[in-house]
Amino acid sequence: MNLRAILAILLCKCLRGISRLLHRGGTAMPGRYALKLCPNLLELLAKDVKTVAITGTNGKTTSARMVEEAFAKEGKSYLSNRSGANLLSGITTEFVMNSSLSGKVNKEYAVIECDEAAARTVFGQLKPKVVVVTNLFRDQLDRYGEVTHTLENIHAGLEKTPGTLLCLNADCSLTSSLALDLPNPAVYFGIDPGAAPSREKPALSDATHCIRCKTEYEYDYISYGHLGGFRCPHCGYSRHAADYAVSDVLELRGSGSRVLMNIRGEKQLVDVNLPAMYNIYNAVGAVAAVTEMGLGVKAAVDALASFHCGFGRMEEFPLGKAGARVMLVKNPAGCNQVIEFLQDIREPFILVACLNDRGADGTDISWIWDADFEGLTKMAERIDSVIVSGDRAGDLRVRIKYAGIDDKQIRVERDYEKLIRWLDTQEKPIYMMPTYTAMLELRQKLVQHCGGTDFWEG
Amino acid sequence: MELRICHMYPDVLNLYGDGGNIRCLSQRLRWRGIDASLTRLPIGETAHLAEFDLVFIGGGQDFEQQVLLEDLHRGKDREIRAAVEDGLTFLTICGGYQMLGSYYETHDGQRCDFIGALDLYTVGSHTRMIGNYKFRCGPASGGSLVVGFENHSGKTWLGPGVEPLGQVLAGFGNNGEDGTEGARYRNVFGTYSHGPLLPKNPELCDYILTTALRRKYGSCELAPLDDSAELAAHDEMCEKIHK
Repeated sequence: MNLRAILAILLCKCLRGISRLLHRGGTAMPGRYALKLCPNLLELLAKDVKTVAITGTNGKTTSARMVEEAFAKEGKSYLSNRSGANLLSGITTEFVMNSSLSGKVNKEYAVIECDEAAARTVFGQLKPKVVVVTNLFRDQLDRYGEVTHTLENIHAGLEKTPGTLLCLNADCSLTSSLALDLPNPAVYFGIDPGAAPSREKPALSDATHCIRCKTEYEYDYISYGHLGGFRCPHCGYSRHAADYAVSDVLELRGSGSRVLMNIRGEKQLVDVNLPAMYNIYNAVGAVAAVTEMGLGVKAAVDALASFHCGFGRMEEFPLGKAGARVMLVKNPAGCNQVIEFLQDIREPFILVACLNDRGADGTDISWIWDADFEGLTKMAERIDSVIVSGDRAGDLRVRIKYAGIDDKQIRVERDYEKLIRWLDTQEKPIYMMPTYTAMLELRQKLVQHCGGTDFWEG
Repeated sequence: MELRICHMYPDVLNLYGDGGNIRCLSQRLRWRGIDASLTRLPIGETAHLAEFDLVFIGGGQDFEQQVLLEDLHRGKDREIRAAVEDGLTFLTICGGYQMLGSYYETHDGQRCDFIGALDLYTVGSHTRMIGNYKFRCGPASGGSLVVGFENHSGKTWLGPGVEPLGQVLAGFGNNGEDGTEGARYRNVFGTYSHGPLLPKNPELCDYILTTALRRKYGSCELAPLDDSAELAAHDEMCEKIHK
């Protein structure tokens, strides 16, 4: 380890110490300065650590937590960026905080969530043993650009680490195209035909035309969005058979799901302790990652049964008489999945939706018009009240009005403390769907009100 | 009464919540007891534009542009030019707006021929013109104050044959230089304000609806609606966007 690297490590550790004294997270800033001093610091630190990195548009955090649960339960020595700081700076900070001054990392494994735009710079340094790509959807156009641009970022990152095993979503034509021209070995996960009823082809799809030859795809079935059994009638690019497959969705409950997986030919009953269809995708991706990291299928399956995600992803709070769930929404695909989850709620409930337009949310809120809020009208008789909040509460109110909910039923409440005090007096279950920075603020107030932990403690 | 709305290329030009504009047009008709039918016209499908009263074309990704141009040059371009001259009402946004012009020239000088229905052209630039912005529509376009979000790197320049839709009050507009935003020609409304342009700007929405209804029925007075939610969101953004 050279002197520059040692100085960078020292600087990073000092800055983190100061941050914590000031009661700040210090999850990304220390690494940012350390990298200025030693740009390849992460590469030096990560070279002897067996790393699994998780990237993609939706489900990164949840999948990383599922994988991490398996490492924890198996008693493995590992580090993880669970604070959510998932750019080069945050990942570097995490490695530094687990290393000696001489740059020796004291953990055998790392479970890393990586921002899809940052993959370009992170993967070359991190050289993960396994990379999971959960899916690719349109997301914050002002920040990430077009979805094909995000795909290029991930591709460029993987080019620098040809030995990495890819765990790809077989059902996502964008994601699985990564294996078409990269030399990396690849395995696939997905939901097999017939495992769940096929959806209607959505009016709005993020990948209608073949990524290779631009011919319109044909579908045998759709699990959601553009995910499913796709096939290009012109060049033949089509869904790859899944090595890790959900072969039957047996139960979809409000608290979790039970599915049958087919793992390289072996049938396995799996309980996923988290509701909603999209978490079944996260679960099967996690099984692939944990197994390919060498921990075995059983470690993965046990982890899924006991796993709690928290941090705004289906996180529960003891608020009001019947409790509250916080469900982060960031883009149309994720938002649609949350609305679909609400359709399965049988009793009347209170819906809180919060929209911010800060940097991390995307400053362009147009995406709310791509999300299927019309789905709310199908459960209108079960929606006790709708409360909109956040910096752009006004836009959300208009969106929900045009979806077909009577404007008189929509209440604007921008003060989270006031909102939480009112919700706490309510009898009915509460479902909250905030965007990222709204979730951070809302969650902080909920933690103050109900108890819980700060974000960097996860 | 009924307006027949056509959403052109919804399969590829649907980048920024464009569907919001269609929902807004239809809802504001239905709330007044006027029927609205919607026809989606994806790539490869043909229909006579004369069968419609209002055509919407939105913005899209670069990825599909080639597919789109091939489809246009198979005859739809001619049909669109004729429909524009015939007075059909169009609302075109971002990529759809650029497409109605003569051509797009990339910053390295490659020229792509567009429909040529409007006297305007677009030149690619290295700056991304992005953010919330506001403009005031010209008197011939209702004169309302519009708030929106723009995200484009192409700079559009208007020829003498078209009027701007409005004048920029804050933000970039057509090119960030001459203060114009969008274009107006006959019954065509073109703008860079993408996605949910109409829901927060009910005055402009009603102006466009009136234009289409007048062409079809001769005269038309739209009944007023309770726009308190729409105007609250509008005013909130007006205050947020300074300059």
